[in-house]
Amino acid sequence: MTDRSSPMRYEEDGNVHLDFHGAANTTIDFIVERFGVAAMDEIFKKVGRDVYASIRQDLLDGDTHQLVRHWRHFFDREGGDYDIAIGDDEIVLTVRLCPAWHHVKGLVGSVSPHFCDQTSRTNEAMAEGSPYAIDTEITGEGSCRQVIRRRA
Amino acid sequence: MIPSDHFTRFYNEVFKFLESQGESALEAYWLAISGNQERHILELIQTQGLAGMYEYWSHIKIEENCDMDLDFNEDRLELRMNVCPSLSKVMDNDAEPMERYCDHCAGWIGPIMDKTGYHMVYDVIDRKKPQCVTRIFKDPAKARAAEKDAKLLMGWPGHKVG
Repeated sequence: MTDRSSPMRYEEDGNVHLDFHGAANTTIDFIVERFGVAAMDEIFKKVGRDVYASIRQDLLDGDTHQLVRHWRHFFDREGGDYDIAIGDDEIVLTVRLCPAWHHVKGLVGSVSPHFCDQTSRTNEAMAEGSPYAIDTEITGEGSCRQVIRRRA
Repeated sequence: MIPSDHFTRFYNEVFKFLESQGESALEAYWLAISGNQERHILELIQTQGLAGMYEYWSHIKIEENCDMDLDFNEDRLELRMNVCPSLSKVMDNDAEPMERYCDHCAGWIGPIMDKTGYHMVYDVIDRKKPQCVTRIFKDPAKARAAEKDAKLLMGWPGHKVG
């Protein structure tokens, strides 16, 4: 379990380059068009399992703290409109304005229909095999609800 | 949302998948990214030439937190990356870095230089170190002369080296 006072595994600071979300959108369209949705999903799952191995290990150990810090840190850095409600039975991240989705919309006018799969599949992979499930519900354009719950 | 700060680690996973599909898949992807990047840099090059490139990378240097020296004169633009934030993040990663991660940079910039009539000499130096030197010339003879000093010269789709 990570020390709660220490930096997260990836805790970038400095300036933010939101145009990377445009490259992510181009990437998703490219992979889905040539290799299918399953291939794109597998790449997102590898991000969840391997890149976010530290968050995943914490979830396996029954600790949600790093994931909640991760949400706060990066939504704050990118200027998202969100809140996090921590309850006894579940933790709910409500995203009213996703900075990634809206930046892409502003850049190219349309967002890949699979853009939000990056969130759903990565969440699923981080939680795989842990005491938690993370469900992602897309509630509108650039908005969603992500819920961490203990599995029954 | 995969944060923009973590895009390069996502990029690294995409490269590994595409490499498993063959070289042509990687090259097709670099060309798709190159097309994406045109919206940020193409007009600057077409209207201002090397000065437009200097403007673009001056902005990138700040926004992407690059430790990079830019040297611009009438003949060429030099980008000397002392610490590349992109490769640095990919190496500071719980997932395995793709060995040819650096190739993507030439892979998207090179086709734009070909399209706009400029000549790039991209010296990666060492794929395991987050540093490189890119020089862009209007005069092809000066580019060919500069290639002789490169330690690890990088090509791109439509421009093979070695």
